[in-house]
Amino acid sequence: MQKQFLGRVHPSPEASAALAAGGRSLADAERRTAQALRASAYSSKVLWRARDFASGSTLGRPVAAIATGFSSLDAVFEGGGWPRAGLTELFCPAPGIGELGLVAPALAELSRADARWLAWIAPPFVPYPPALAAAGVDLAKTLLVTPSSSGEALWALEQALQTGACSAVLGWPCQIDFAQTRRLLLAARQGGTWGCLFRQVAAAREASAAELRLRLSPRTEQRLRVDVLKRRGGWPVENIELVLNAVDGGDEAE
Amino acid sequence: MIDAADLLWLAVRFPLLGLEVHRRKDDHRPTALIEANRVTQVDALARRAGIRVGATLATARSISPQLRHLQRDVEAERKRLERLALVGYRYSSRVSIAPPAQVLVETRGSLRLFGGLAALAHDLAARYRLLGHETRMAAGATPLAALALARAETVAMGLPCPSASNQALRDVPIACAGFEPRDVERLANMGIRRLGQLLDLPLPELGQRFPPTLLDHLHRLTGRKADPRQPVQPPERYRFRVHLLAGANDKNALLAPMRHLIHKLTRRLAARELGARLLVWTFKPLSDRTASMSVRLAEASADAAALLRLSRLRLERTGLPSDVTSVFLRADLVTPLMPAGADILGANHGGGVPFPVGKRADLVDLLTARLGDDAVRALTAMDDHRPEAAWAATPVAAGARATTPSMAKRGARPLWLLDPPAPVAAQRFTIESGPERIETGWWDASQARDYFVATAASGGRCWLYRDRWRRWFLHGHFA
Repeated sequence: MQKQFLGRVHPSPEASAALAAGGRSLADAERRTAQALRASAYSSKVLWRARDFASGSTLGRPVAAIATGFSSLDAVFEGGGWPRAGLTELFCPAPGIGELGLVAPALAELSRADARWLAWIAPPFVPYPPALAAAGVDLAKTLLVTPSSSGEALWALEQALQTGACSAVLGWPCQIDFAQTRRLLLAARQGGTWGCLFRQVAAAREASAAELRLRLSPRTEQRLRVDVLKRRGGWPVENIELVLNAVDGGDEAE
Repeated sequence: MIDAADLLWLAVRFPLLGLEVHRRKDDHRPTALIEANRVTQVDALARRAGIRVGATLATARSISPQLRHLQRDVEAERKRLERLALVGYRYSSRVSIAPPAQVLVETRGSLRLFGGLAALAHDLAARYRLLGHETRMAAGATPLAALALARAETVAMGLPCPSASNQALRDVPIACAGFEPRDVERLANMGIRRLGQLLDLPLPELGQRFPPTLLDHLHRLTGRKADPRQPVQPPERYRFRVHLLAGANDKNALLAPMRHLIHKLTRRLAARELGARLLVWTFKPLSDRTASMSVRLAEASADAAALLRLSRLRLERTGLPSDVTSVFLRADLVTPLMPAGADILGANHGGGVPFPVGKRADLVDLLTARLGDDAVRALTAMDDHRPEAAWAATPVAAGARATTPSMAKRGARPLWLLDPPAPVAAQRFTIESGPERIETGWWDASQARDYFVATAASGGRCWLYRDRWRRWFLHGHFA
């Protein structure tokens, strides 16, 4: 790739014209020329900007992602969606505030396009099959794992991520520390699996190896506030408001 | 090499097979088998009551009101017959079945060992009696002759000499000889009632008047034509054992013998392109009670490493007696190995990224081995208006394709379901919409529920219901 050093530019014809017109200095003209040149470098992808990170094709390596189904989130997430091989953490203050509605479009997409399992490991309630089917999730690929202890849940989580037999693993671990999140992240990378952990809000303060950490808070009328606490290729983003819809299953009763 | 002419066929007929497949130990009522509204088989009690074969059901019931009558189950009879044939395998390697109710055993090679045909037949009859089956037996030089004699019941059991058998064969009624019913009727119209009369007729003329099947049958009956029979194959057993020189008290010490047995098993399986879906391990100690554990697989496998890994995981959860001296391995549910990958057309259902079914099954096996069968389940949706009956968590079958039924239009359904519903105080919720009345079926505990969508204090939307006694329950979260 040809590199251009933008600092040192010969006076362009416009700069000379500007100079000839008088009134402005040569330095001013040079600055404007440099700006124009830089803009063309960005648009032709010769120059890399950290800001481009989220758009996906950065560092010469496309980041595989699963579209979230929410354009405001896709714009923020690296690669334009949930990581296809990586770990995500969602912090919810209470179960049932819309955390499933947030991931449901991605699950539906995965169950349609990927032959592997969607594993639910130690969910707090029963993921209700009629509603899942209505949200477009293929039940034939859904695997419900209910281990008897938190230790076994962690073991199952790691196995499900690592073996590569799942396209997505949704886990509700009780308590995990940094080293364990690191292990899960590596397992997810190895298996090419999207690991999504649902955790208590208090755990958001702890360090974690997950590449994407979101805090969810409920809003009225099926709205959900999402704060991105950590993401790759960008600063935290606060207060993204989403409208969850069509996750209820079926039509409203008459 | 035994000459075909020397073969001696023993035909075993089960005259009451149709009744015996249905028999229950505790039933002491007269029983009859009904086919096309006619009695075809009667047990001893019914016979004593005076019910005859051929009577209509109405007649039979008027004779004996407490008569238990059964419809014929051809499939069950056939299966039972195959199992009964395996008993004959003890006496000869050439055992075949002759539906509907006969088994053929070629006994020439076994006569000396069992002390003659009479002794062999007696022994065999005793075995069948133990299994609860009445038998009629007859021997003949050809399979069809033996079958006809057993059907005719004209001769006593035990006919070692073919010439005597020939004379008996001449006395067999035509109806018992196994001809087509239409031909039997025509022969009867001609006044031919015994097989001997038919055998005396000139064959070319017989061939002109009857279909070729009759002549073919006659030739096979008299031995002029070969009559090959398909012998039954006893199912192959996969059982291995190893005895330890010293009692093992450590699970790690058991791994070496287990590996040994698994390799033995997988070599046998691989040679036949088979895979096992269930391994049963039994650990036998010197004095204590034996322990056993089973490893169930979602997909048939003959992979030694995978089977050993799963067995190890299961072993960790199994309590073992001390001083294990013998280890047994049995492989059940042995099925042909399917090539890994998609289905026969190479298509993977649902489109998208192809993924070997085997690897999906591996994960299920791995999780069930450690967590138990109940901990790993598949979800299915059912088209039922009752919320609890509209879903099920079932054991995972990797090959099976769960189908989601077309769901009738219903009200809003939550993604999280509480099972069972939790009683709540209604004040903590703000009703958004409802009610939706759902009546559960009168056939189970009849309930009428009014479902509401409500907002909880925490901000989440909930699915509440009020039952007939105005108690409130939380049944789901619209997550």
